[in-house]
Amino acid sequence: MKILLFVIFLLISFCKFVFSDEHLDEQQIIDMGDVEYGQYLGAECASCHHQSGASEGIPSIHGMDAEVFVALMLAYRSKDMENPVMQMIAGRLNDEQIGSLALYFSGLEPSN
Amino acid sequence: MSKISRRLFNTGLAAASVSTLAFPSISLGALPRVVVIGGGAGGATAARYIAKDSNGGVDVTLVEASKRYYTCFFSNIYLGGFRNYGSIGHNYYGLAVNRGVNMVHEWAVSVDAAARKVKLGSGEHLSYDKLVISPGIDLKYDTINGYSAEVQDHMPHAWKSGTQVQLLRNQVMNMKQGGTFVMVPPPNPYRCPPGPYERVSMIAHQFKQSNPSAKIVILDPKNKFSKQGLFEAGWQKHYPGMIEWISADTHGGLKNVNASSMEFETDLDTFKADAACVVPGQRAGAIAMAAGVNNGDWCPIVPTSMQSQADENIYVLGDASIAKSMPKSGFSANSQAKVAANHIRGALTGSKVFDARYSNTCWSLIAPDDDIKVGASYTGGAEAIDVESKFISQGDDSSETRAANYQESIDWYNGITADMFS
Repeated sequence: MKILLFVIFLLISFCKFVFSDEHLDEQQIIDMGDVEYGQYLGAECASCHHQSGASEGIPSIHGMDAEVFVALMLAYRSKDMENPVMQMIAGRLNDEQIGSLALYFSGLEPSN
Repeated sequence: MSKISRRLFNTGLAAASVSTLAFPSISLGALPRVVVIGGGAGGATAARYIAKDSNGGVDVTLVEASKRYYTCFFSNIYLGGFRNYGSIGHNYYGLAVNRGVNMVHEWAVSVDAAARKVKLGSGEHLSYDKLVISPGIDLKYDTINGYSAEVQDHMPHAWKSGTQVQLLRNQVMNMKQGGTFVMVPPPNPYRCPPGPYERVSMIAHQFKQSNPSAKIVILDPKNKFSKQGLFEAGWQKHYPGMIEWISADTHGGLKNVNASSMEFETDLDTFKADAACVVPGQRAGAIAMAAGVNNGDWCPIVPTSMQSQADENIYVLGDASIAKSMPKSGFSANSQAKVAANHIRGALTGSKVFDARYSNTCWSLIAPDDDIKVGASYTGGAEAIDVESKFISQGDDSSETRAANYQESIDWYNGITADMFS
């Protein structure tokens, strides 16, 4: 799963480089975050994302690299990645909220 | 582990191992006290989040009569034979041991809102600073002529999880070959809008294997239902000729049910069943009425906090509340509980209170690996909980998408039950 996420991250980074949009980069978004806000917002994620994760389907997001987290959320927000639930969840998050979630989840113990 | 959380940890253990015990809140003196009534998706989540996020700063007591809780969600999956009943049962040890929640396995019988006390079935009282009421639904048997609690084992509603659901499964399995199964869905509003139609799908799936010439007749008190187009396309595809849905306008209303002759009388015809599931109208659980936080059948809430409109120290979650556009579902209750928990901690400990945001997704299984979903996100507006965005499965979804939805629903089940009980 981690390798897959990393590949996705690379792909997204590449696309962003090629199409060079005007959005902030991942680190700037993380810097906007507030971990306490991330804990509150992250409760919504916990309805589906089990701490120990799943071998297929819904993965664990505990301990996920913050930049990968941001890249994935931006890709769901822009609907570049499919899954209607995640597009809906990410679709209403602004940069500060995504940064807050990235800070919170990257600070948690990973599942393994 | 801090001193306080260790103390709560031990208290929780003691409360979990001795059933009716003196109330630990007394020994904790100065801590603010929260009592939560109802250990389902709303109540268990609220208790867990208040205890977890306050790190021992709030004394949380959860009042729930059952020691083992069977989720209503996924009970249809059991009815379809996809999992055993034990797999949807959960206990409260995680809340007691990991989170220090004081478990009281009793019925709450009344609330003295002025004195801020809950009276238990044993006659004991629990004092609170904030009260969460999350009792789910009660059934209004009298919405169907001839139906009552006395005949519910003959024609199970199975709309609260437990023995009723197992009874229904047995009746489906034992129905005579080529017999007719009658499903009576409830009138709006009710718990789990797509539930009756997923239930029909799961029973059809069972019949397809064990009773392929069986018929299912749905006598609906409504003229349309949740995810209707997707369900009907799925029934046509997987169970052609087996399921007949009859709308209220077509049958003209269910006039009477006779549990001994198993007859359903309508303007259109009298239908004779060999087995049946009859789900009457619903209202908020009785304790909400006893607390006086209802307006009619349901409880008005403040959309930004889930506080009762009748009492700022009481919060009403889940099916019992009037959340308007948010459906009555376990997912909704779990989502509402997090808003309430954040608000309650803010009021009691001064922690930061954030904007109210809610979400819901309902997955419904039509046949193996053919699962549809509908969902929405919401904000707490001034007047009501407002829809922010929504989605629904498409009629032309690939079979891979439908199969992935089913896997996602299983992962969600594991996620939400951990989010309630761990």
